[in-house]
Order: sequence, then structure tokens, then C-alpha cells
Amino acid sequence: MPEAYEALVAALKLTDIPFAEYGWKTRPQGTYGVVQLEMEAGSMDGNGEKLDRAWEGSIDVFFRLLSERDDVMETVEEILAEICGDSWTMNSLQYESSTGLFHVEWVFQVIGEHVPEPEDDDDAV
Amino acid sequence: MPYEMKVDGMEEISEQLSRLEDRAPAVAAKALYEGAGIMMAEIKKGAESIRTAPFKYAANGQTRLPSPEEKDAVLSVGAGVAKFDKSGTEVNTSVGYSNTGYADVNGTRKPVPLIANAINSGTSFMPKQPFVRKAAKSGGTKAMQAMKDAIEAEFTAMTK
Repeated sequence: MPEAYEALVAALKLTDIPFAEYGWKTRPQGTYGVVQLEMEAGSMDGNGEKLDRAWEGSIDVFFRLLSERDDVMETVEEILAEICGDSWTMNSLQYESSTGLFHVEWVFQVIGEHVPEPEDDDDAV
Repeated sequence: MPYEMKVDGMEEISEQLSRLEDRAPAVAAKALYEGAGIMMAEIKKGAESIRTAPFKYAANGQTRLPSPEEKDAVLSVGAGVAKFDKSGTEVNTSVGYSNTGYADVNGTRKPVPLIANAINSGTSFMPKQPFVRKAAKSGGTKAMQAMKDAIEAEFTAMTK
């Protein structure tokens, strides 16, 4: 797992909103959130290998009252701005009519940690 | 005494180039058609990989996966391509599930766009499986390359 993603999860779990990775099996009452890493968004390739990888994931928060929206968005977006910089976007704000919940979705990208291989000493003079 | 140099056939090329602007939208539309086809194929590939489970109601705060019927509805209807919107030399379209009709799912008649959206961005009782976003990510560069190739092929055919 990329370090930035772990930092993001840790920061989200410190907030008032209960967060779970990769979804809840039983949904909690009230406001809750889900954070997950979904796919490789791109990579910097060189020398026949992947030097750096960008990962894409999403944060979903469900809440019941529209008046909660500003608080929820401020909480999540402050953390996103701190950890992901500018590489995030609010993807959608939806309303679920069957449950009466609002659903905000953010999509973010983080860079995976690149571990450089040890250099060969064969060419050393 | 200065040499005179003369190049023949420039009138023809300039004439061809002047005609290019009139034909640009048609060329662009042809290329866009290729690109849209690739995006649709990518979305279909993504829809085939949707995880399913037999249908049950998500009672008592439980969550559920999409039922096989819902997957079938999304797969059989498939993504559509919007009408090409031409303005000047620009041609735009969009690929997706808007206005794709209705399907009989779990005993009720439901709009396919809503089913696709529920699977793609998740609901409070269904984990998300972002197959459209994944397709856009992986198919974008492929579609762009195909469109570039189509335009270049058309251009070389035109100037020959």
C-alpha cells in the first residue's frame, strides 16, 4: 500500500465520521464513510520498469441531513488537501430516495512509494 | 546571372488545403466514431467483470452485491453513444448509460441508467464497482490513439 494512502486512512479515522476501508458489512446509523483504493491511475516507466505508480481511490460519505453537508465536506476536503495536494476531485453528490441518505463521492490519486534498486558495483572503477 | 527556381503543383496543394476546413468536421466525426467504439468496448469489458450474488433485500443494515439480473440488464442494454454534436470544426459526443431504457429486474421495472449508476458509484447498501471510471481510465489513451490514426489516414488519403 502506498504510504500516502495509509496516512489518508489514518487521518480519516481520527475524524468524527466513522470510516471503514472497503465498505461496511453492517451499516452504522447516522453519518458514515467508506475509503478504498481502486486502480492504478498511471505510472512513470523507464529503463524497462515501473519507477513510480499513481493509484486512484475514492471516499464516499453518507449522511441524512443536508445541513450536515458543509461540515462533512470541510472535514474530508481539509484532509484531502493536506495529503493529496491538488490531485483529488469531488465526483458526485447524490440522493438515495429509498433510504433518504445523501451520498458525496471524492476521487483522489496518490503516488506509491518507489523503492530504488541497489546499484550494481560492477562498473565501479 | 541568378538562377530561377520553380516548383510546380503548389496550386493543387493550396487548393487541397483550402478544402480541408470544409471537410474537417466529417473527418473528425469519422475519427470520433472509432474512439466511441473503443470506449464502448472497454465499458462492456468492465461490465462483464461486475461481481454478483443472488438477490436478497438489504434488510437490517446489511449490504448486498448486485444480483445477476441487474448485471444482465446493464450488459444486455450496453452503453450508448450520444448524437454527435457539431459546432464549427469541433465534434463532441459522450458514451454512457443515459437514456438506455428500462429492464425487468428483481420483479420490478427499473431504469437501466439508475442500475448502472448504483453499481458504478455504490449506494449505502451496495459496495461500489467503478467499471465506467476504470474503462475511461484504461480506454482513454487507446481511443485517443485510434482517433489520431483515423485522422492521419484520412489526411494522407486526402492529400494524395
